[in-house]
Amino acid sequence: MIRLAASETLIPAPNIEYYELSPILIVFGVGVLAVLVEAFLPRAHRLHAQLALCLTGLVAAFVVVCTLTDEAQENARAVPQKVAAEGAVAIDGMTLFLQGTILLLGVVAVLLLAERRLGGEFAASAATVPGSAAEKETTRLGWVQTEIYPLLMFSIGGMLIFPAANDLLLMFVALEVLSLPLYLLCGLARRRRLLSQEAALKYFLLGAFSSAFFLYGIALLYGYAGSVRLSDINAAVSGSEDNDALLLIGMALLAVGLLFKVGAVPFHAWTPDVYQGAPTPVTAFMAAATKVAAFGALLRVFYVGLGGAKWDWHPMFWGVAMVTMLFGSLVALVQTDVKRMLAYSSIAHAGFILVGLVATNAEGLSATMFYLLAYGFSTIAAFAIISLVRDGSGEATHLSQWAGLGRRSPVVAGMFALLLLAFAGIPLTSGFTAKFAVFSASASAGGTPLIVVGVLSSTVAAFFYIRVIVLMFFSAPVTDGPRVAVPSLTTALAVWIGVAVTVFLGVLPQPVLDLADNASFLIS
Amino acid sequence: MMIPTSEAPAGAAEQLQNIGEATGVFNLTWLMIALPLFGALVLLCGGKRTDSWGHILGCLTVLGSFLIGAIQFLTLLGKDADERAYNQHLYDWLDSGNLQLGVGFQVDQLSICFVLLITFVGFLIHLYSVEYMAHDLRRRRFFGYLNLFISAMLLLVLADSYLLLFVGWEGVGLASYLLIGFWQHVPDYATAAKKAFVMNRVGDIGLLVAMFFMFDQFGSLAFDEVFEAVPGASDGWVTAIGLMLLLGAVGKSAQFPLQAWLLDAMAGPTPVSALIHAATMVTAGVYLIVRSAPIYNLSDTAQLVVAIVGAITLVIGALIGTAKDDIKKALAASTMSQIGYMVLAAGLGPAGYAFAIFHLLTHGFFKAGLFLSAGSVMHGMHDDTDMRRYGALRAAMPITYACFGLGFLAIIGIPPFAGFWSKDKIIEAAFNDNIALGLCALIGAGITAFYMSRVMIMTFFSDKRWDSGVHPHESPKLMTLPLIVLAGGAVLGGGLLINDGIVTWLEPVVGHEEAHHRMPVWALTALTLFVIVVGVAAALKMYQFSPVARTQPQGGVLVHAARHDLYQDTVNEAVLMRPGQWATRFLVWLDHRGLDNLVNGLAALLGGTAGRLRRVQAGFVRSYALTMFGGAALTVLAVLVVRL
Amino acid sequence: MGNTSNGEAVLFWILAPITVLAALAVVGSKKAVHSALWMAMVMVNLAMFFAVQSAPFLAVAQVVVYTGAVMILFLFVLMLIGVDSSDSLVETIRGQRIAAMLAGIGFGVLMIAGIGNASVDDFNGLTAANSAQGGNVEGLAALIFTRYVFAFEAIGALLITAALGAMVLAHREEIGEKLNQKALSIQRFKDGGIVTPLPAPGVYARHNAVDMPALLPDGTASELSVSPVLRARGDVLEPDDSVAAEASQRAQLGKGSSS
Repeated sequence: MIRLAASETLIPAPNIEYYELSPILIVFGVGVLAVLVEAFLPRAHRLHAQLALCLTGLVAAFVVVCTLTDEAQENARAVPQKVAAEGAVAIDGMTLFLQGTILLLGVVAVLLLAERRLGGEFAASAATVPGSAAEKETTRLGWVQTEIYPLLMFSIGGMLIFPAANDLLLMFVALEVLSLPLYLLCGLARRRRLLSQEAALKYFLLGAFSSAFFLYGIALLYGYAGSVRLSDINAAVSGSEDNDALLLIGMALLAVGLLFKVGAVPFHAWTPDVYQGAPTPVTAFMAAATKVAAFGALLRVFYVGLGGAKWDWHPMFWGVAMVTMLFGSLVALVQTDVKRMLAYSSIAHAGFILVGLVATNAEGLSATMFYLLAYGFSTIAAFAIISLVRDGSGEATHLSQWAGLGRRSPVVAGMFALLLLAFAGIPLTSGFTAKFAVFSASASAGGTPLIVVGVLSSTVAAFFYIRVIVLMFFSAPVTDGPRVAVPSLTTALAVWIGVAVTVFLGVLPQPVLDLADNASFLIS
Repeated sequence: MMIPTSEAPAGAAEQLQNIGEATGVFNLTWLMIALPLFGALVLLCGGKRTDSWGHILGCLTVLGSFLIGAIQFLTLLGKDADERAYNQHLYDWLDSGNLQLGVGFQVDQLSICFVLLITFVGFLIHLYSVEYMAHDLRRRRFFGYLNLFISAMLLLVLADSYLLLFVGWEGVGLASYLLIGFWQHVPDYATAAKKAFVMNRVGDIGLLVAMFFMFDQFGSLAFDEVFEAVPGASDGWVTAIGLMLLLGAVGKSAQFPLQAWLLDAMAGPTPVSALIHAATMVTAGVYLIVRSAPIYNLSDTAQLVVAIVGAITLVIGALIGTAKDDIKKALAASTMSQIGYMVLAAGLGPAGYAFAIFHLLTHGFFKAGLFLSAGSVMHGMHDDTDMRRYGALRAAMPITYACFGLGFLAIIGIPPFAGFWSKDKIIEAAFNDNIALGLCALIGAGITAFYMSRVMIMTFFSDKRWDSGVHPHESPKLMTLPLIVLAGGAVLGGGLLINDGIVTWLEPVVGHEEAHHRMPVWALTALTLFVIVVGVAAALKMYQFSPVARTQPQGGVLVHAARHDLYQDTVNEAVLMRPGQWATRFLVWLDHRGLDNLVNGLAALLGGTAGRLRRVQAGFVRSYALTMFGGAALTVLAVLVVRL
Repeated sequence: MGNTSNGEAVLFWILAPITVLAALAVVGSKKAVHSALWMAMVMVNLAMFFAVQSAPFLAVAQVVVYTGAVMILFLFVLMLIGVDSSDSLVETIRGQRIAAMLAGIGFGVLMIAGIGNASVDDFNGLTAANSAQGGNVEGLAALIFTRYVFAFEAIGALLITAALGAMVLAHREEIGEKLNQKALSIQRFKDGGIVTPLPAPGVYARHNAVDMPALLPDGTASELSVSPVLRARGDVLEPDDSVAAEASQRAQLGKGSSS
């Protein structure tokens, strides 16, 4: 049966638009270089080399994203619009906006990863058994696992592809590329290593489970449309009435896989455990950037590929959004650990972002993108601040230890309070603008019940955010409670960037809102 | 660009004036706010490094704002009456579809009055504080808060929309809270701060609801757009908006029934009482009402309620003032009462707006002077505030005595001092409007004369009742200088009325209505003076010519009632505080439950929902996978069911 | 090509039940090694399905990669780790199994109801796809190197990540100088304990497997002669039976020779 191909049937060489793809290629390239640095540079020089390499790469990629946006706007006064790599990658407004966001968040994440003055957040040597003599010895020698940098770069690379993927196969590969390094990074905490390893394993198992659903969904959609390309699926959706069951089940399973990544209820279960167990810089990165990428993918699949079937998936997404908002806000109320509280808050925020997504119009798209940007920076700064509040045994994340923090370190506590207010959606912070944009987009698409639930859960959420503020500023400080450690420059920079963006997007949101508006364009 | 207002329906007084685009010095409006804000940032974030020069920076920023304001004022003076309003649009905050929220400032005849009052009195009080707080280790912080307050207050009066006004409104509330509780190590003071905070929030809800209503009805929160659209709204809505705005004003200006916090707010350092709780912040409510004149002009009901609230407060405040032995509390009661006059005037409509502002300005000067003098007395008396342990201080501190005396003459309304002109006008306008309101105002004037004389006599006259070891002395120059300047204002403030100056000045903003007199003006003035003389005489008889007990005498039922603020606290406690406390206690309980990792608190409220939801989070990966699996099944079901 | 051919149908109905049962056995087996073997069975069956569905490349890849490489690797790992500490298989969460079964059944019912309704009577495109480039393998190659080339390349990042991850989690760098044999020897004597090699397991007439302890001179079984892994698993036999049998045999032999 198998016969060798005759030499005359040559495959035409594929067309690769290297320029349009260069942000992705740069990040992957830097990842590979970073692996080489690990292999060939002596331990003492690795950290600085990695830091310089990664930051340069991310900034370079960001510059390319900016020029791509710029050029497109100069040429056609419209947003860029191009499918690259044989139609597998869509370079359009949303792709560039979200890629830019992810790259900026990546820069902040690298800055967080580079924290050394607090003793580092990452294991000295991940292969040593927790509590063993080897662990103590490597820790004493001041080692640190610098492989985190290439891992982070690969993850960012996957995230850059994820929202840009124009076919489901590439999207699945991107999902794995972005997830695998994250699973690893989660298990590399320096302190409480067993908790961290447990978190990593949980994340890995559940992530694999959700990938299975995603893959099954792809298979069914392929069965339905005869292609995994989103445009073909879209054509099939608007063209035929046959075999709808495949379409429906396929889209539901695809949604399961993607909703898992954004941490929406009922696929949220991993979030609190993983956020708590992972090293805080990794948590910050996951909470911010993974959400951006995963929502980008959700937007692309459901706007471009399945937009024609929106009446089929709307009710399901309505339900998920409502349950997610309510569940996240309610359960956050009873948390006693700051990281867990923020984890549930991130679940609630996933719900709010879904409100923008189900609007299924250009407004919804731009509101969702703005929300992702605003939330990303706030949350990354919030986790960075958590990593500063320490006592003898490392981070002090129990809420009771935060009592009276505002009296001892008013600036840090004040910044944290500001970020919490942003999460609560108080005016003059980015959170308000973002929630406002999302809700008004939803209102224009007839989502009033969603808004009612959204406002209700915001109210509940405001309660626990403000409870923390009250705790920090109006409670008597606990004796020998934690103190705010003085971080190295990189972490301080990360915190300030996050806070500045939060304030800026609250006070002067219009330019960025306009940017998101201009970028709210998808290739169909 | 001139915004045409010819489309505005031609009401009698609510013809809106043109608002020009800011040019020249009016482009610096933002700087007025930014300067003190910058000062606050430097002082609060700068840490100990700024200890040595912080207070100087604090004074200079306010002086800078004052200079800008003064130049703007002079420029305005040189312009035609209808070209005195300028709008500086900074940027669009949110612009999405049908909603445009901009950030901009508006300088006009009304706001410039406030700017001058705030920055000038503010600067004097900053100067005074340099010496007054000299021994406080946290003086730098104090100046930071004061600067923050000045900045927020300027934002409040310069805002060109209710939204921005609200930002300033909250800002002054925050500054006030921080300053009342400045000595937070005294638990009572911290409680007072919290009380002020809570009662102010009640008022804020009113303002917020008013903003919601306006937004719903007019689709905008900018002053010019709202006022243009108001005539088109139904009476019911206008009244509702007016009443809600009043609730906001009542909370901020300590009017009935939310007045109780002001007396406790005296816990703050005396300069704070003078600046925030006498001259400026508490008058923000009056500003709000006068600024919203186009709304109130269209609702007689709302106007009447405003006037009644003012009348009740002015009498209540005066009555409370008669029984307070704490000099600051007596003055605070007087503030409450005087603001009652202003609110009453504002409730009289175009006939009274200008006089409300006039009284506000004169009051700002003489009451600040009185408070600072009281502070000077306390400074000399080892921070004792009980007047029953004062007496015959006039020889010991002559400058303070003279300044307090001038302020005293102004507040009780002796011609030709400032208070006479402003209060007399309000009484006159009240009588023209309604006999009952007029009588309230008149009686209030009598009681004011009585309790202020009481304060004057018990402090500076009668006999020595000092504690042993107290050696009263005059305060340093840096403290007496502001006193003298403010006393000058108390003497000369009436000059604003020359040639109806203030009335014509404000007319383009708030309109004016010629009074139709119910009785001859001279007769009313004579009557007022008579009542005042009776009040002073009664005080002389009771306190100068009979000995004052060093401890509080038993007193009758009325005295008792007045001492307890006419039981307003009790009433408030039952109506507002108690439920509030329950709520707070509930929250605290919730807090502790949550903190102690016991069964969660809200579970009780929400039927255990949250707790049960949390129990799902058991930590077993297989149960997580199960929820995911079940969720996936549900998702598929949800998508399939839609097609059925 | 229209409908399923008879041969394919017959093969399917034979293999499908076996595959499902094997898959259930993967989940149901108590021992990890058994699960792995059942898994291999599932994989092989899948390969056969691919083969009959005209996807020879997939069939081969399935056997080579999954059954050959992945499963063997899996077994290696199981054996290297050893099974001396076996996980308890008792379910501690109340209702977990029932709920899991219900969810599984519910999901299955939905799937069957949904997909069963789909009309997949005739399928098209297979012949065209297989002949476009002159064959199945060529067709796949064309797709991988044109349409899906980017996904194919992106997988490179995945592989590097996997390798890097394995290094991070498993590679232990030596701290300090590596000890040579002499030093190790000295160390062993310093520590005391057993210096010589461990005794070999017992060799008996009827039994000479690794799970049978040797006898010490005093006739008791030597603990050291069997692997602790086996002991932990409970797979170690008692030598007594063999010793007794041997004794009786010897006795018989002696009797015989004497008779």
